[in-house]
Amino acid sequence: MADVTVPQAAPAPDLSVRIGSATLRAPVIAASGCYNKGDEFGRLTDVGRYGAITLKSITRYPRLGNDMPRLAMTPAGLLNAIGLQGPGLDHFLHHVAPALQDVPTAVIASAAGFSVDEFVTVAAALDGLPNVVAIELDVSCPNVEREGRCFAADAASLAQVVAAVKQRVRLPVIPKLMPNVTDIRPIARAAQDAGADAISLINAVRGLVIDVERAQPVLANAAGGLTGPAIRPIAVHAVWEAAQVVTIPIIGMGGIAEGTDALEFLFAGATAVAIGTANFRRPDVHLRVLEAIEREMFRRGCRRVGELTGLANPGFAGPRPAAGL
Amino acid sequence: MSQSGPYLEPATLVRREFLPPGFWYLTLRAPQIAAAAKSAQFVALDLPGTFMVRLPLGIYTVQDDTFSLLFQEWGERTRRLASLAEGTAVSCIGPLGNSFRLPEERTTRATLVAGGLGVAAMWLLARELHNAGMDATILLGARSANLLVGMRELQIFGFPLDVCTDDGSSGFRGTVIQRLQALAPPGVLYGCGPPGMLRALCAYANDHGITCEVSLEETFGCSLGTCWGCVVPVRRGCPQGTGYPRAESETRSFDVARVCADGTVFRAADLVWQT
Repeated sequence: MADVTVPQAAPAPDLSVRIGSATLRAPVIAASGCYNKGDEFGRLTDVGRYGAITLKSITRYPRLGNDMPRLAMTPAGLLNAIGLQGPGLDHFLHHVAPALQDVPTAVIASAAGFSVDEFVTVAAALDGLPNVVAIELDVSCPNVEREGRCFAADAASLAQVVAAVKQRVRLPVIPKLMPNVTDIRPIARAAQDAGADAISLINAVRGLVIDVERAQPVLANAAGGLTGPAIRPIAVHAVWEAAQVVTIPIIGMGGIAEGTDALEFLFAGATAVAIGTANFRRPDVHLRVLEAIEREMFRRGCRRVGELTGLANPGFAGPRPAAGL
Repeated sequence: MSQSGPYLEPATLVRREFLPPGFWYLTLRAPQIAAAAKSAQFVALDLPGTFMVRLPLGIYTVQDDTFSLLFQEWGERTRRLASLAEGTAVSCIGPLGNSFRLPEERTTRATLVAGGLGVAAMWLLARELHNAGMDATILLGARSANLLVGMRELQIFGFPLDVCTDDGSSGFRGTVIQRLQALAPPGVLYGCGPPGMLRALCAYANDHGITCEVSLEETFGCSLGTCWGCVVPVRRGCPQGTGYPRAESETRSFDVARVCADGTVFRAADLVWQT
């Protein structure tokens, strides 16, 4: 009998990641604010390839949002001040939530509020909706109970809201931190210590554009949130710093438009990444990013995508999976 | 995917023509988009460069497997589009947005009112009216004769073209609204043009109880309806609005609608014009 050596097929790369108790099929998420439930992009691309899509932030009460203009183009960026337009919790639960069961991937619901109570009420109501696997907290709002100080810029406020939500919510809770702070590390630590299952980094960077012709801000709201590649180094740095002080997963985001951008975040210490603005230009951007991640895993002989996390960060504090097969 | 799209399709530039003093007339081949395009719909083009969002432009004419665009160099993206070489393919999403609705009564006399480049929204509407065997008049307005565009392409439908210029250098001296006021009221009105013109057109239509639809322009982000960056105030109860309940703290009495996805076409009776 001839001795036959059967070539072993390389095992498929494991792209799944765990965010608290939730398992996502892929480490690439659609960021809040840019995707709705995926209906619009679903007519153009395979939304199901996203590991999850994040809904627009839901507030306790309906909000018409800011006056126009709400958008301004900047060099390599987009400044927006939509103003948390949304149906409010009750209308959302009745008219939007039932359709979540048709979303072809996992859903991360985003809760926003102006007090701890509002956050708790909204987050608790989102827990248990079809397909919803985690709750993101849009903590960039002012806290009316603490002199309007932004939850995400005040470790005590942040800890209070995370702890209160955790008491009422079974799903993983993910505060989305903002970069407009002196030092992200104590904020990230406060989130972890209060029981956050993961953190999202970063929310949009505050910015303002002035129309020189009219000597007025372009946006009706004056200030807005800057997104796009312009903010990417700020975001990668925030992930880098946070990854040195927390052990919970970090979802990195901010200006990801190409596969290598996503790798920067993973190498800095992110477990997963989210894509927002880049969807507008390339509805299939997530497919390119996934392909680049798979290519990188193959190149480095990684079986699990988690092996890429923190590769460039010598101070990475999170758990490192065993390398190789 | 539904039959009417939208499609994500490469569009190949097959012909570029400069129309003095500053207009571009570009023909692109994109079979799916061309086959599905209806009046007032637009495409979103991904142009080379570090742009965050696609360039939305109204679909002007359609022929076989091609559609055309009529535009002015306005910002960086339109400059980039105008400088593309023939044969270049760009990623294109379309057709996007809703369309003008034709009157149910075929005998209704339609008047199409276009200001400046607003004419780009009128060619497909004129074709739809023509194909439905309906009668129409087209009012075309511009600041002066040299800025009048679109007549060449619109002539093929045989509808009377009534030209108005602010300076009287061609046709009626005055605005399209002043011209409209001098004519017998039409059965239905369609408009596209600068905001001041549309506001006056809607006021005229509402005052005379005439059904009127206008196609609006805004700065778009996503062009698809996801970013909510291009809203316009509409009366509460307008089927195109959000339908959100009114919060107790809400001082504004109107609702809002997305120009890109709920429009671009709105009924004059639904629009709320702010000062």
